Amino acid sequence: MSELDRREFLKIVGLSAGAAAAAGCSEPAEKLIPYVIQPETITPGISVDYASTCLECSSGCGLHVKTREGRPIKLEGNPEHPINKGRLCARGQASLGRTYHPDRIAGPATRSGDGSLQPISWDDARGKLAAKLGSAAGKTWILGGPVGPSLDGLLDQIVAATGIAGRLRYEPFGDHALVDASQRIFGANAAPIFDLTGADLVVDFGSDFLDTGRSPVEHARQLSEGRDIASQANGGARVIAVGARQNLTVSSADLWVPAKPGSEGVLALALAQAVANSKGNAAVAAATSGASKDAALAAAGIDGALFDKLVAKLSGATRAVALPPGVASSTTAGRGTAAAVLLLNAAVSAIGTTVKYPAVDAKRTASLADVKALVLKMNAGQVECLLIHDLNPVYSLPAALGFRDALAKVELVVTFAPLADETTERASLLLPDHTPMEAWGDASPRPGVRSLVQPTIRPLFDTQALGDTLLSAARAIGGEAVATLPAGSWKSVLESNWATTSWRHALARGGEFGETPLREVALVAGAAGLKVALPEIAGAGDFTLIAFPHSFYGDGRGAALPWMQEIPDPVTKLSWNSWVELSHAKAAELDLKFGDVVTIATEAGSVDVSVFPRGGIPDDVIAMPIGQGHTVGHYASMTGDEQPQPGVARGVNLAEILPAATDEAGGQAFLSTKATVTKTGRFRRLALSQWTDNQRKRGLAPEVSLYDLAQAGSMAHFLAASPASASEHSDTEGAEGGEHARGGHHFSGPPFEFDPANDAHPDQPYRWGMTIDNDRCTGCSACVVACYVENNVSIVGEQQAIRRREMSWLRIERYVGDGDDDVSADSERRPIPSGEVLGETQVRYLPMLCQHCGAAPCEAVCPVIATYHNDEGINGMVYNRCVGTRYCANNCTYKVRRFNYFDYGRKNWPGLLGLMLNPDVTVRGQGVMEKCSFCVQRIETARQPVKDVGKPIPDGAVKTACQQSCPTDAISFGNVRDTASAPVKRAVQGANRAYRALQILNTRSAVTYLSKVRREEHEGVH
Amino acid sequence: MAPPPASAVADGMNPPARPRDSQANIDIMAVTKGFHWPWLIALVFALSGVALAAATLAWQTYEGLGVAGYQAPVFWGVYIITFVFWIGIGHAGTLISAILFLFRAKWRNAINRGAETMTVFAVLTAALFPLIHIGRLWKFYFLLPYPNQRFLWVNFKSPLLWDVFAVNTYLTISVLFFLVGLIPDIAIARDRAVGWKKIVYTIMAAGWQGTGKQWKAHSRAVLHLSGLATPLVLSVHSIVSWDFAMSIVPGWHATIFAPYFVAGAIFGGFAMVIVVMVPVRRIFRLESYITDYHFENMSRFILFTSIICGYAYGAEYFIAWYSAVEFEQTSFWQRAFGPYWFSAWCMIIFNVAMPQLLWIKKLRTNVPFLFVLCFFINLGMWFERYVIIITSLSREYIPAAWGLYIPSLVEMIVLTGSFCWFSMFFLLYLKMFPIIAISEVKELEIHARDHGRSHGAHAHGGAH
Repeated sequence: MSELDRREFLKIVGLSAGAAAAAGCSEPAEKLIPYVIQPETITPGISVDYASTCLECSSGCGLHVKTREGRPIKLEGNPEHPINKGRLCARGQASLGRTYHPDRIAGPATRSGDGSLQPISWDDARGKLAAKLGSAAGKTWILGGPVGPSLDGLLDQIVAATGIAGRLRYEPFGDHALVDASQRIFGANAAPIFDLTGADLVVDFGSDFLDTGRSPVEHARQLSEGRDIASQANGGARVIAVGARQNLTVSSADLWVPAKPGSEGVLALALAQAVANSKGNAAVAAATSGASKDAALAAAGIDGALFDKLVAKLSGATRAVALPPGVASSTTAGRGTAAAVLLLNAAVSAIGTTVKYPAVDAKRTASLADVKALVLKMNAGQVECLLIHDLNPVYSLPAALGFRDALAKVELVVTFAPLADETTERASLLLPDHTPMEAWGDASPRPGVRSLVQPTIRPLFDTQALGDTLLSAARAIGGEAVATLPAGSWKSVLESNWATTSWRHALARGGEFGETPLREVALVAGAAGLKVALPEIAGAGDFTLIAFPHSFYGDGRGAALPWMQEIPDPVTKLSWNSWVELSHAKAAELDLKFGDVVTIATEAGSVDVSVFPRGGIPDDVIAMPIGQGHTVGHYASMTGDEQPQPGVARGVNLAEILPAATDEAGGQAFLSTKATVTKTGRFRRLALSQWTDNQRKRGLAPEVSLYDLAQAGSMAHFLAASPASASEHSDTEGAEGGEHARGGHHFSGPPFEFDPANDAHPDQPYRWGMTIDNDRCTGCSACVVACYVENNVSIVGEQQAIRRREMSWLRIERYVGDGDDDVSADSERRPIPSGEVLGETQVRYLPMLCQHCGAAPCEAVCPVIATYHNDEGINGMVYNRCVGTRYCANNCTYKVRRFNYFDYGRKNWPGLLGLMLNPDVTVRGQGVMEKCSFCVQRIETARQPVKDVGKPIPDGAVKTACQQSCPTDAISFGNVRDTASAPVKRAVQGANRAYRALQILNTRSAVTYLSKVRREEHEGVH
Repeated sequence: MAPPPASAVADGMNPPARPRDSQANIDIMAVTKGFHWPWLIALVFALSGVALAAATLAWQTYEGLGVAGYQAPVFWGVYIITFVFWIGIGHAGTLISAILFLFRAKWRNAINRGAETMTVFAVLTAALFPLIHIGRLWKFYFLLPYPNQRFLWVNFKSPLLWDVFAVNTYLTISVLFFLVGLIPDIAIARDRAVGWKKIVYTIMAAGWQGTGKQWKAHSRAVLHLSGLATPLVLSVHSIVSWDFAMSIVPGWHATIFAPYFVAGAIFGGFAMVIVVMVPVRRIFRLESYITDYHFENMSRFILFTSIICGYAYGAEYFIAWYSAVEFEQTSFWQRAFGPYWFSAWCMIIFNVAMPQLLWIKKLRTNVPFLFVLCFFINLGMWFERYVIIITSLSREYIPAAWGLYIPSLVEMIVLTGSFCWFSMFFLLYLKMFPIIAISEVKELEIHARDHGRSHGAHAHGGAH
C-alpha cells in the first residue's frame, strides 16, 4: 500500500470534517422537491379553494376547501351557500382532520379467525361481497346513516336491483317526532324549516338551536342579525329558553324558564291555549282545548306569574317562533310535545312566516323502532349479511337494544367506514370509503338547495367510494335485475343526477341554491283536542338523567377528532372526558367535589364518571354529554393517550345506561330514565380550562342594559366609575346603571385613538385592529377551532390539558354576571363555575386573544426582542429568536401567551396529520413562546396582489381565521387607521358600549370589545 | 523559575532564629490536612446529588420544560425561586468582606473567608439557574450582546437583561475579591505543600513573599475591590428584584422591592453563614477562631434585617389594602389565605416571628439554637420567593386564566442538586484552602499584642 500523499490526506480530512459537521447538525436536511410536471392549476405557495359541502352533521353547510399544493389545509364556509353564508361551525372546521386521521383504515381487509385483519385486494373484496349478495341477498340488510340524495337514490336502486332485503337509513338524532307531529297537526309529511329571519321572539323548547340544534350556523346567524343592536334600538329579537339545564342557547337567552325536564309539551300546549285565547285564534284554541294551565305549572314547576309573562310576550310578539325539543329533551311523549310546540307556532301565526313547510314530502328515515325490528331479525338468524355505512351502531345504539350480541349472529358484517371505530372492530369485511375530502357526493339540506361534494385530494389510502364499491359488487353478481343499474361509476351517477344544471357552474359555486318550494298548511280537523301526556321517565333514582349532545361530538363521531377533544366544551369548559353535572346543593349533600367519581346507575346499566357540580341545573336532575366513551380510536379512546391504554374507553358512553325508549313515532327518547348517583370514593381529575366564572367585578365582560344604552348621549355614568376602585362602589350600588358601571372599562375617547409612539410606525398606513361584539358572541367556539387549524396550534392531550397546558391562541372566557369582588371569595377551593343561578342567564362570553397592545407589557420584558412591535402595530413573535424565558407570558396581562413545554410541533401530529399543517405558519419548536399573530400570514397574502400596483390593502381583504368562521359575525378585523374600516365603523357605531379589556392598565390594546346588551331585566323564578 | 520558598526569604529577613510556625497557621491549615469522615460522607452525598441533578437536567433539556411543573399561568417556578435564593445567599459574604471591611468592623476577620467562599459558590450556583430555567438552553448566548452579522441585539429595556449583567458583574468582582484576599494565605499553604498542590498554590499565590511592598499593594487592592463590591451588595439584588418590580404583575409591581430584597438577601445570607460555619467549626475544631461572639454579632444582623423584612411584608399588605386596587387586594388576600397559604405563613413565621427570639441574649449565644433557627430562616427565605413568584403569578388580572403550579420531582431534584453543587465546591475548598483568613486573624493577634486589651474585647475576640 502506498503512503498517503498530501492530496489524499487533505481529501480524507475534508471528507471526515464534512461528515462530522453534517452528522452534528440537529436538523435533518429536508428538500423541497419541485413538480416534475407542473399541474396547470397549482402555483406553489398559492392556495386554491374548491367548493364542497360539510357532511359532519345533516345541516349541509357549504364549504370552501382551501388547498395548498394539492392538500386541503383549511375549511371555510362557502359565502354563496344559503345555509351558512360563508360561516362554519366548530365541528365543520375540525372535520378536515378525518382525511389525515391516524385512525384511517389503509385499505380493504378481512378479519381472519383469530380476529386480526388481513389486507386483501379490492377485487377479492368485491368478489366476497358479490358472492354473499348473490347467494343471500334476501338475508342482507343495509344499515346506514344519512347520505346525500344521489347516493341515497343509488343505494335504493342497488337494493332494488340485487334484491337486498332492506335498507335502514337511520340517524341517531333523527326528527321523527317532528315530522310525525306535522303530519298530525298540519297534514304535512315534512319537517318544517325554522326561519329566524326577522323574528322578534324565539322560544326554544330545548332544541339548543344555537349549538346542537337543527342548523346551528344558520340559526345563530339569523338570530344575530335579528338582534343587531346597531340597527335595532329596541334590541331586536328576544330569546326565551325553556329547559332544565343551562346549555349554550340558555346562556344567550334573555329569559330562562327552567321547566322540569319533560314538561315542555304540557307547557307549550298550555301556552298555545292561553295565547290562542288572548289572540282570539279559534282553531288553535280548539286544538288546545285539552290543555290545563294548572297542570302545566305543576309539571313544569314554574309559577303563574312567569307563565303569564310568557303568554304576554308571545301574544305581544309580531313575529314569534317556537322551536320544538332537540335531542336532550326528546321524550317518550316526543310527538305530542312537537305537536304542542307546532300549535304554539300556529297560535302566534308563525306558520308560513317563521315556520315553513317545504312542498316536498320528507323521505322516511328509519327510527329506533325500525332498528329494534332489525335487531330482532338478526337475533332470529334472518340476517346473514349486514352492510353498515356512515354509522357506528355498535357505539351509538342503546346497549339495552342488544345490537352487539345480535351482530355476532350475522355471518358477514361489512363496514364502509373510513376511520376505525367500534363497528369496524366487529366487522368481518372492511371496505373503507373515502373521506368527504376525497370523495364525490352531494347533499340537500332542504328542497331547492342542492350542494355538491367534490374531492380536493387524491385518496391517501387504498379506499373506494361506497357507491362504486356497491355498484361493482352488484354488477359482479350479474343477472337481469342488475342490468337496470345505472352505467358508469358513482361519479357519473352523480353527474347524471346533476344533469339539470351546469356541472361546471355547480362545481364552481358549490351547488345549486334555489328557493325552497313551500306549501301552505293549516290545522287539520283531527288536531282538535290534542292531548299531550307527560312523558314516561322510567326507573328508580332521585335524579332525572338528561343526556345532552355535546357541542362537538354529534352522535359520537366528533370524538375522533383531536380538536373536538381538546377544545373545551363551551358551557362547562371541560375537555377530553365525560362528566356528570350535578347541582351544588346535591353535590354538597352527597359530599361530592369536582372530580369525585360517582356511579350513575339506571335500569339499563351503570357507568362511573367524574362529577362536575354547577349552578345551572336543578337539584333533581343530572346531565351527561353524549359522544364520549369510545373504545376505538387514537383520540376517541385512550389508545393515543400519553400513557396509551389501547381499547380503554375515554369517558363513558351513554348508550350503556340509556334505555332503548322511543317516542310515539319510534324515534329514540334520550330523556327517558331516572338514575341513581352513588359515591365511589375514587377521584379522577378532569381537564378544566377555566376554574372560575367569577370576573370579580373587573369589567372584563361587562353588560349594558337597553335603558343605559338609550341614555348613551352621556356616557358619564359609565366613565365615572373606574373599575380600579371597585371596592368603593358600594355608594353607586342600587342606582340605575350602577351594576353595569361598576364593571365597565368604557372609553374616555374615541375607539382606536391612534398614538404613533406606541401603536404603529407613523409612516405606515396600517394599524391592524379588531372589534369584537360580545353581544353577538354565543360562545360556540367555532373561532377557536378555526384558529387551531389555521395556525397549526398543537393538540396537547388530556394529561397536559389537565395541567392547563393547552396551546389555544384564542379562548372563549365564560363569566357569570359581574362577579364578586370580595377578596375572600375563594374560587380555588371549589374550582368550578359557581356563579350560575337556576333561572338566571347572566352568562357573558369573552373571546380572548392577543390584544396586540400598543404598549405591550410582553415586549418590554423580552431580553432578546423575540417579541416586538412591528411597523403595522402587530405584536410579532420571532420563534427562532425566543430562548424561552417566559417573562413575556408572566407579564402578559391577558394571559394569551403559550409555551411549548415539549416538542409539540414534532410529536403531536401523529400519522398523516402533519400533512394538514398550514405551510404559511411556522410549526413551533420546543421551548419557545407562541400566541395569536392576527393571522399575519393572511395579511401578507392580501398584500401581495396590491403591493405591485401600489395600492393599499382594501378593507375586508384580510379576514382572520376566527373572524371568517364566526357564525354571528361578532369579529371584525381591519386597518384601524382607516376610519372607514369595518372594525372602526363597528366600534364607533357601538361607542356607547365599547371598551377595552383592562383599559385601566393602559396597554393600548388593539382589540375593542362591545359589551353584551341586557335586553330584559333580570327576572327568573323567584 | 520558581520563587525561593517563603521560609528561605523569612530566614533571610530574620536570620537569628527561624520563627516557630504560628498557632493560627497550624490550626487553620490543619483543616486541609488529615482525614475527616463527616467531610467524606458529605462530599459523596454532594457528588451524587450533583450527578443526579445533571442527569435530570440533561433529560429536561432533551424532553422539554414540560417535565418541570410549569403550567399556565405560572411560567416561573422553582428554578427562578432558587436563583433568587442563591443570589441572596451571596450577599452576606460581600457585606461581611466588603462593607464591614470598610467600616473596620474587626470581628469580621474570623468569618469573612467563610462568608466570601460561600458568596462565590452561591453566585456560581445561582448563575446556573437562569440557564436551567430557559426553554432553549442551547440558545442561551442569545442573551449576550455579541456582535453578529444579522444585527440581532438584546433588549436593554428588559430587567432580565439587567440581570445578566448584574450577575456576571457580581460573579466577576466576587471571584476577584476572593482570589486577591486569598493570596497571603495561599502563600502560607504553598510553603507547606508538596506535589501538585504546590504547583497550584504557587500559581495562585502569584509570587507572594510577604514583603512590605506586597502587603501595601495587597491592602490597597483589597480596599479598592471592597469599594467596588460595596455598591454591588445593594445593586445586584435590587436588579434581581426589578425582574419582578418592573413587571405589571399584581404582587410584583411594587416600589419597595429593591430594599426589601436587599434586606432579605443579607438576612438569608447571614443565616446561611451560620448554617455553614457551625458544622465547619465543630468538625474542624475551630472554636478558638470562630467564637460564640462572632455568632452573636451575626445574629444581631439577622435580627435587624428580619425586622426590615417584617416591615416590608407589612408594607406590602398595607399598600395593597390602602391602594384599593382590587387586583392587588385579591392577590395579597390569596397569598395569605389562598391555595398557597402555607408558603406565606412559613415565610412570616420563619422570617419574622422566629428571629424575634434573638432579642434574648442567651439564645443569641446559643449556637445549636442559632443553627436550627438559621436553618428555618433559610427555608423561610426560600418560601419568601415562592410566595412572591408563585402566588402572584397564579392570581393575575384575568380570573379565567387563574391556575395553580405544583413543583415537579424534576425541579425538586434540581433544587437538591443545587445544594449539592454548592456543598461540593465548599467541601473541596475546605480541603484545599484555609477557611479562615489566616493573615487577617494574625493581624488581630498583632493588633491585640501591640495595643493590649484596652482596645476592646470585640477586637480581641477572634485571636488567642
